Amino acid sequence: MAEATERPNPFDVQTIRRLVELMARYDLNEVDLNQGETRIRLRRGARATGSSQTGTHGATTPAPAPTEQPPAPTVVPGSVSPPATQPSAPPTTKLIPITSELIGTFYAKPRPDKEPFVKVGSQVKPDTVVCLIEAMKVYNEVVAGVTGTIAEVCVDNGQYVEYGTVLFKVIPS
Amino acid sequence: MFQRILVANRGEIALRIIRACRDLGIESVAIYSQADRDAPYLALADERICIGPPPATESYLRVPQIISAAEISNADAIHPGYGFLSENPDFAYKCRLSNIEFIGPPVEAMRALGNKDQARKLARSVGVPVVPGSDGLIRSDEEALRFARQAGYPVLIKAAAGGGGRGIRVAHNDAELLSGLQTAQAEAEAAFKDGSVYLEKYLDRPRHIEVQILADQHGNAIHLWERECSMQRRRQKLVEESPAPNLPDDVRQAICEAAVRLVKAANYQNAGTCEFLVDQDNRFYFIEVNARIQVEHPVTELVTGVDLVREQIRIAAGEPLRFTQEQIRHQGSAIECRINSEDPANDFRPSPGKITRWLPPGGPGVRLDTHACAGYVVPPYYDSLVAKLLVHQPTRAESIATMRRALAEFVIEGIKTTIPIHQQIMQTPEFIEGRVDTTFIERCMLPADKARRLSAG
Repeated sequence: MAEATERPNPFDVQTIRRLVELMARYDLNEVDLNQGETRIRLRRGARATGSSQTGTHGATTPAPAPTEQPPAPTVVPGSVSPPATQPSAPPTTKLIPITSELIGTFYAKPRPDKEPFVKVGSQVKPDTVVCLIEAMKVYNEVVAGVTGTIAEVCVDNGQYVEYGTVLFKVIPS
Repeated sequence: MFQRILVANRGEIALRIIRACRDLGIESVAIYSQADRDAPYLALADERICIGPPPATESYLRVPQIISAAEISNADAIHPGYGFLSENPDFAYKCRLSNIEFIGPPVEAMRALGNKDQARKLARSVGVPVVPGSDGLIRSDEEALRFARQAGYPVLIKAAAGGGGRGIRVAHNDAELLSGLQTAQAEAEAAFKDGSVYLEKYLDRPRHIEVQILADQHGNAIHLWERECSMQRRRQKLVEESPAPNLPDDVRQAICEAAVRLVKAANYQNAGTCEFLVDQDNRFYFIEVNARIQVEHPVTELVTGVDLVREQIRIAAGEPLRFTQEQIRHQGSAIECRINSEDPANDFRPSPGKITRWLPPGGPGVRLDTHACAGYVVPPYYDSLVAKLLVHQPTRAESIATMRRALAEFVIEGIKTTIPIHQQIMQTPEFIEGRVDTTFIERCMLPADKARRLSAG
């Protein structure tokens, strides 16, 4: 019979539960553990960020869709990493978030029939308008405030945002 | 009845309002600044929305942010609590424009009573005595001097747009009056955007006695008896109680009736408090109306059995008052001690920080209203109120005994609190005998501490 393994098994519920508790206790948003051929990545989402999952990949375990508060486990055997819901930037580049200062509804396009203000890959300057936030019937233009390239669009069109909600992530140049 | 109420406040009063909503089966939306993101009471709300960075001026005082939060969360009413925007007519008006019910008085009543000089005029017009004062706003130095010489010094210079003990200066002679006027006007302009001031005679060692009222949208108004709040330091209340000790019944009755007369004349609605000063001959004088729920409202809840915040919500939803005046009975004696994160040994310096140990009191006759707990970090950006410790017993002597017990049980470590000064108050003969006035703490309790500290070297 198979002997009891002494290595922590990434599929082991106890291990995952322990990691979740540690994340909550120490207020960690992301934990990414590698051991040999196995890897666990747990990420605690903020309030309904709704960034779209880019689908499954070659790994045998499909990545579940991210949920609200509890961490969304992405268990990946082997070293194949799933396509990025993370930015495709090299891990050492610090991404700059564009955060909301208003409370209201996020709109990615100037009008429904137009193209979005920016997409992943768009170049931005500090005064580039990146989106609208509608608050109390007024459409406020949000500018990038930074020079660089959009690495990630973090919110969906029509989503409610609050103070501090991350709207975009930018690779600074 | 409302489906969802946005709580436009923080700390213990936010928790209080959330609890009232839950009692009524109404959903609540809590707002928070980044400094309050770990506040324990947020988890009790049905939704929570971050509205800004820590400073109050960029979060809890930002009208557009709060109204936007109400819109995206589909709140149909906003409860403003006390402080912050609770007496801001512009905010109440904007709520109305956005079709969100403001749980408080109508904008017009708020404006009428928010100007303290106007409120005095209104009081006089319905036969409510006011503190002898200038006939309206002071428009010249000559006018001020004339009043002061006729009424006699000392006089108080008061900002018309002030309130809650703010915007007040004392003048003991002509020189102080003239320089005080300049400073008071400048300060009022800066703090309240309105530099107008009026004068009042400075009463000799008055008691502060206030009356809780409730008025509905159907013309009914009742009082819920009085509270005494004479134990103050720098015009901030430390201890409140009901009934006011050693107050003749006919005086009590007259003050309460005057309060109802005044709020009816102002077409007031919802909860409010009329504040009076009572001199050593038991003559009473109106000073101002607080057009909001107050910190010390639980004192009245304990002696009348009425849940004031729940009644606020009902009144705002259009329901008529559920009580007649005759049904409001006063039972027993209730005392509240405000436990602040301040260091009484060091001039009440604020003491924010992490609470490392928290053992709250309990048992019969004890009520504790607090948002704090072990591990809670008191932020430095807001007022220092950490907990309201209340007791209710059949007699005042028993209330004081229970308060002593409760204060002794209450352990808070990690921050300094005002528990020691409350313990001292509960042992002070003048307080026990009900012979205090608004100058008592500063006159008799604090200088002694200073002398003791100095002599101890």
